[in-house]
Amino acid sequence: MTNHSKQRIAQQNDDEVLTLSSNGLVSQLAKRSIFRNTRRTLLTVLLISCSLAAILFTDSFVRGMVGSMIKISTQTFLGEGQIHQQGFRATNDIDLYIRNDELLYKKLDSIKEITAYAPRVISGAMTSSSENVASAIVYGVDAIKEAQVSKLKQAMVSGTYLSGIEGEILLGDRLADLLEVTLGDRLVVTVSEANGGDLSQALFRVSGLFSFNERNMDNGMAFVNLSQSQKLLNIEGVHEIALRLEELNQADDKSLSFWKELNTEQLETLSWQELVPQLSSMLAMTKYSTLIVSVIMYILVSLGLINTMFMSIFERQTEFGILLAIGTRPKQLFLQIILEGLFIGILSVIAGLLLAFIFCYWGSVTGIDYSDIEMTGMTLNEPIYLILDVFSFAQMGIATLGIIVIACLYPAMHAARLQPSFAMRKTL
Amino acid sequence: MMTNIAEITEMTENYKAKTGNQTIIESKMLCRHFGQGDTLVKALSDANLTIEKGEFTAIIGPSGSGKSTLLQLIGGLDSPTSGEVFLDNKNISHMTGTELSDFRRDHIGFIFQAYNLIPVLSAKENIEYIMLLQGISASERKKRVAMIMHAVGLEGLEDRRPAQLSGGQQQRVAVARAMVSKPSIILADEPTANLDSKTGADLLDMMKDLNEKQKMTFVFSTHDPKIMERAKRIIRLVDGRIVDDERRG
Repeated sequence: MTNHSKQRIAQQNDDEVLTLSSNGLVSQLAKRSIFRNTRRTLLTVLLISCSLAAILFTDSFVRGMVGSMIKISTQTFLGEGQIHQQGFRATNDIDLYIRNDELLYKKLDSIKEITAYAPRVISGAMTSSSENVASAIVYGVDAIKEAQVSKLKQAMVSGTYLSGIEGEILLGDRLADLLEVTLGDRLVVTVSEANGGDLSQALFRVSGLFSFNERNMDNGMAFVNLSQSQKLLNIEGVHEIALRLEELNQADDKSLSFWKELNTEQLETLSWQELVPQLSSMLAMTKYSTLIVSVIMYILVSLGLINTMFMSIFERQTEFGILLAIGTRPKQLFLQIILEGLFIGILSVIAGLLLAFIFCYWGSVTGIDYSDIEMTGMTLNEPIYLILDVFSFAQMGIATLGIIVIACLYPAMHAARLQPSFAMRKTL
Repeated sequence: MMTNIAEITEMTENYKAKTGNQTIIESKMLCRHFGQGDTLVKALSDANLTIEKGEFTAIIGPSGSGKSTLLQLIGGLDSPTSGEVFLDNKNISHMTGTELSDFRRDHIGFIFQAYNLIPVLSAKENIEYIMLLQGISASERKKRVAMIMHAVGLEGLEDRRPAQLSGGQQQRVAVARAMVSKPSIILADEPTANLDSKTGADLLDMMKDLNEKQKMTFVFSTHDPKIMERAKRIIRLVDGRIVDDERRG
């Protein structure tokens, strides 16, 4: 048997008699101390873990809500990006349309990040039925391509989707109510022609009704076939091309070459964030609100923990006096309190993360039903599915531990500064 | 009163000269005042005291006479308002918190009236704790724990927590804890106050035995006549002043 083995066996024999080790003396005391008042420790763990779980649930919910809103915003009709003729968005001038669109389509076909695109002709129109008159924005769309980009086809509530036959028109259900028309009824659309402003009229027959669950769209939009719309406006081109990208985050990444390629002297290509900046701002504010909730939660957690640690310290004041009296250094006592907090923190973070995972996972699978609730002009027409973010879980867990250690500094300093005679005033 | 102080100092010097004993504690004009103005309480005033190695000394006096305050000051548990304390020829009056902790760890053993064991540690661990602070090796700790548990008659109770021990057993653990680090002096604050008379007497006999065999220095603050009977020296305090210092044998 080697000397090393003998030493190890001797050490093991020592350990059979001695349960404390010099290496972890302070941590062993801290570990045992936190379970002295099990109920208080568990209540503290419960407070911190529930707060952490609430923060993570809120964070996941906000991520889900933001994701849903972006999805609704981009997938319903907007697309992740749009191409217009320079100046069109600022003026809505129908004369500013994209010419040579066929060449552009070929280019779009060659860009791998663009999975689909939908050309549109846009015109402000007067729609007249036999009963009523209403203004609307009439979109001329390519039925097949539009279905690949927007949810117009899925939004159909009655009738049939565009099939390319001349004279078809799709109306928002609210607009149909306003015009007092139903499927098969006739409708006259009056627009101003491009490059001259002459009035142009065409007769349509209501072939379908749609509902995006979005008031402005259902009130004021109508869709006709692209070719008929071009004929009506007397243009050879389109006003807008909505883009569907491979990944949503490609809309943020302006370093991708296609953004440069599609922004020319004639063309203006913008991401959804630039197209609806108010939505971007609102989403940024939502993130701030999560931060504020987190800060409030952390303040409450800190105060709760400081209270717990002080209660524990005042209860054990005599004991701390004894520890100091028999030779424990103030910094060892300081470390013991910090470690007690840290151990409570570790337990709480594990419990909190577990709790948060269970609730967030449940929310990510079943979703939370917010359907038909309108937020900032946007109707959430599907449940909000919570988004679990591992990085956020790790970040919040570490932040909670950090906050706990910071919250324990003051009680720990108080304990370390105790005068033994004061701490043990009932005895020696 | 000044006559008394001068007399006591002279008596001490004469005793030292006669016995050649080594001074372990010396206090010079030690004062401890609490509060200020109208609420000023002079817990201890001008205490000059010398304790020699191997003494078995009792500090007696009525409640509030300053016994515990004197013990706290010479044990480095409190800071004097004025005056100085020398322990093993080191001035402890101006030490920092860490220096004092280290000094107490290596030189002083404490026994408290209410036992004051660490509740989360077993009897064995309570004794072992101070040796861990001293950085003593595991094998030496094991040896000393076994020896001291035997000496204080606690064999078989090593793994019990304080709450599972009787008052007498807890105080034995406290004595063992105070002794195990081999301090220069043991300070005991009314160690028998919470014990029945037989347990108290047994404990005192044990401490007296340690004093005689190992020349360990004991200083008690007490009301207990049993301690006074066994003490070789009795220091009497009244109103925070040393009024009498009687040596026996």
